[in-house]
Amino acid sequence: MTSNVEAARRQRWPFAACLAALLALLALAGWQWRAGAPVSTDLLQLLPHSSTTPLAARAEARMQAAVNRDVVLLIRHEDSAIAKALAADIGQAWAHSARFATVQWNLETDLPAVRRQLLDGRLALLSPTDRALIQSAPARFVEERVGTLLDPVGVSIVPPEQDWFGFATRAQQSLPRPGNVTADLDGSLIAEHDGQSWMVLRAQTQGSAFDGDLPAKVAADVEQARTEVRKRGGQAIAASGLLYAAGGAEQARREISLIGGLSGVATIALLWALFRRLRMLLAVVPVVIGLLTGITTCVALYGTIHVLTLVLGASLIGVAVDYPLHVLSKSWALRPWNLRHALRLTWPGLTLGLITNVIGYLALAFTPLPALTQVAAFSAAGLIGAYLATLFLLPALIGREPIEPWSPPLRWAERLLAWHVAFVGRVGTPLLLIGLLAFCALGASRLSLHDDIRQWISRSPALQAEAIQVAQVTGFQPTSQFLLVTAADETELLTRLAGLRPALDRLVGDGVMTAYLSLDQLVAPAPAQDAVRSALPELLAASAPFQGLGVDPRALEAEAEKIEKLPSVTVDAALAGPLGEPWRPLWLGHDDNGVAAIISVQGLTDSSRLADLAKTHEGIQAVDRLAELNGMFSDTQRSAAVLKLLACALIFGLLCRPFGPKGAARIVAISLLAALCSLACLGWLGMPLTLFGLFGLLLVTAIGVDYAILLRERVGGLPVSLLGTLLSAITTWLSFGLLALSDTPAVSSFGITVTLGLIFNFLLAPWAAETQKRAL
Amino acid sequence: MRVIRLLIAMLLLGPATLAQALELTQLTERLREPAVIRGAFIQEKHLRALAKPLTSRGHYVLARDQGLLWALESPLQQVYRITPDGIERRTDDSWQPTQPNGASGRQNQLSLALLSADHARLSRDFELQLSGTDAEWQLVLTPKSTLLKQIFRAITLHGSSRVERIELDETQGDRTILRLIDGQPDSQLTAQERHDFER
Repeated sequence: MTSNVEAARRQRWPFAACLAALLALLALAGWQWRAGAPVSTDLLQLLPHSSTTPLAARAEARMQAAVNRDVVLLIRHEDSAIAKALAADIGQAWAHSARFATVQWNLETDLPAVRRQLLDGRLALLSPTDRALIQSAPARFVEERVGTLLDPVGVSIVPPEQDWFGFATRAQQSLPRPGNVTADLDGSLIAEHDGQSWMVLRAQTQGSAFDGDLPAKVAADVEQARTEVRKRGGQAIAASGLLYAAGGAEQARREISLIGGLSGVATIALLWALFRRLRMLLAVVPVVIGLLTGITTCVALYGTIHVLTLVLGASLIGVAVDYPLHVLSKSWALRPWNLRHALRLTWPGLTLGLITNVIGYLALAFTPLPALTQVAAFSAAGLIGAYLATLFLLPALIGREPIEPWSPPLRWAERLLAWHVAFVGRVGTPLLLIGLLAFCALGASRLSLHDDIRQWISRSPALQAEAIQVAQVTGFQPTSQFLLVTAADETELLTRLAGLRPALDRLVGDGVMTAYLSLDQLVAPAPAQDAVRSALPELLAASAPFQGLGVDPRALEAEAEKIEKLPSVTVDAALAGPLGEPWRPLWLGHDDNGVAAIISVQGLTDSSRLADLAKTHEGIQAVDRLAELNGMFSDTQRSAAVLKLLACALIFGLLCRPFGPKGAARIVAISLLAALCSLACLGWLGMPLTLFGLFGLLLVTAIGVDYAILLRERVGGLPVSLLGTLLSAITTWLSFGLLALSDTPAVSSFGITVTLGLIFNFLLAPWAAETQKRAL
Repeated sequence: MRVIRLLIAMLLLGPATLAQALELTQLTERLREPAVIRGAFIQEKHLRALAKPLTSRGHYVLARDQGLLWALESPLQQVYRITPDGIERRTDDSWQPTQPNGASGRQNQLSLALLSADHARLSRDFELQLSGTDAEWQLVLTPKSTLLKQIFRAITLHGSSRVERIELDETQGDRTILRLIDGQPDSQLTAQERHDFER
């Protein structure tokens, strides 16, 4: 009796400790969730930090900011007056909403400000062609200017008497207009394409595409605008990174609830079918605790948990439920049933399994890819949580429950084993192995590696089609590639930019890109401005045709003097004016190393030509994040494979103690063979192996080791162990198999690989037990 | 009988006092009737800074379906072509846009709409006010939008069977008077003119 009390007390303290830990976990989670769900949809968070300079990273962030904040809405109606009214209504509604920082549908051009910038900056704004003309053929320049003064119905923004030489007028005309959006006579923004004219509404949100529920709200705004336009018989299309983010978050939510829900329901249904007791459903408590531990750990480590991690993590349910299931499956053999006894028998196997799993996951944490690191941390923490809960909470929850498990499954397991023995007896293991290896070799030789960041996101085809249409209509086809130009000071920078122009124009001429924006289009380098200044006397000498029109020569002299004295325009000043707006994102300003600017390109079709420019010009760097990332993915694949092999060696060492080198080698070999078989299957099916697929394979080997250990331990007899393995394989497969249904290619690839791996793991697991039988 | 005469007179007078829009429509119809009009022009730009106006002369060909050819002859020689696609200047071997970056199509259409007094087109951006008689009418255009108001105070068209004078009053104080003289209707373009529009 005393010893019983003693034992009970001994059993109680781990429970109390576990309960205390659980309470602490809940408190931490509650604190983390105090200001809403710390869930992120920002893909950048999952990507490795740029291997390039902080400057390039800043430039990338700048380019990305526009993508994550801009919304473009195009409205079309047979009656352009209705289209205009609709654009104005929607624009006003959006302008009043706190969600949007700026909304533009009507160019409320401040003409006096434009005039001022044109006049003050005329030297800096002149195009290279006009500057060359002034210097090389002043008489021709004057002749052309006299012509424009007489242009039929020609009205210029700058009054002629302030601009006799026409520098400001020429500058205004030659300033590149990005895209195809122009202001109508009434100021409304329109874009004409294919004979149709669209009203353009541009908005920028206060927050970015990754700020909580902002994307969903903006998506609702856009949807409402669409409905409104449709009601009036018009058509509206929209493009925005926010719409993708909203779609992605919505889809992830749907998939998490579908996969998590189905997986949970199936697990509960399985528990009910097997044990027929309501209280037994509490066996899912370790799973819930596991998920909670995973999420809380991730938030603690990374600040937020990415939605992709959550989707992959939802499948952890299937792995975490293995622990309670393994223990409970012993109820077919242990009579009378005693949970504590079953735990004492199974815990060494469970612990070994946990350690091998965690080793497998932590190997991934050393890859340079935050996406994998986060999933690894989530899974490792989640499994530890589920394991501890199984060992210490489960007895308190269902320890006293008498279990009468449904008996047929045990008979099925026995029959399966008998088949296995008969089959192996007839064919022989060596022959089977040779066949399997041939299957693997042939399949693996067909395997293609394929990784692209675009697989990480699923974009609704409808949204994508609209974005393409918007790009065609507006002429804005942003690309993620750009040039980064650095120099010691502004003059050197602008000179470098100006030096690049002929090469860039050639690329446009060759159709490699449709357009580009560079700061020197807005601000000519100071020496170029000086060159025009020094050409002024000759221009004045060639100004006779003006006098033919009756222009006072003194007025011309006065103007030449005024231009001569114009201060050289700085980049900051030029960008501050109303004409500078399109160029503003390009200027990165001063830092310790000097100054830097971006050259953005539109509609790029061949990024290698852009990269070539960087090789032949000084101070220029081609930034191509997409190519860099995809390159990094293949590097990561290699390092993940190496890490996995190291993990296998570690697991082998670990297993040597309980099973001996031979047994350990067998267990590891079986799990590796299962992984190889799934690889071969992918090859046979013509599916590429992606980074996430590889991650799935790593998981498969960890699970395979798990199964092999449990079958080798044979607690409660081989059929019971096989049954336990089958049950956990089914639950694991239920969750991972559902992942294959995901619309996100990366997640689906992961699901397919794991599904295949699980099947092979289960099929091969009996061999792990077999030798032991022979060895005994 | 007298009652009937009175009725007929009322019926004839009625519409004239009822709807100005109808007259505008009729005016546009009438102005659009000839397929081609050829004539001479004198353009005077009254700039605040100049004592005498900048005067230019030349000939024009207004083709209803193609656009306008504007041949400046004095003080310098230059041929312009105005179509819905833009304003172009003739160079040695081709047409070159005067605004390389392209104004919107609608801006180009304005000049054509002015010359043909296309009220449907003009009423989008201007308040129209028609006065005078068939033989001597006057159409005053006042801009509706703030953007146009920053450029034009008003545009006035005068004419009879065709547009004879266009006055552009710019907000900044400059004024352009365009006189279209001796316009002769024709049913088709000459081969050379057709060629000019096609290239």
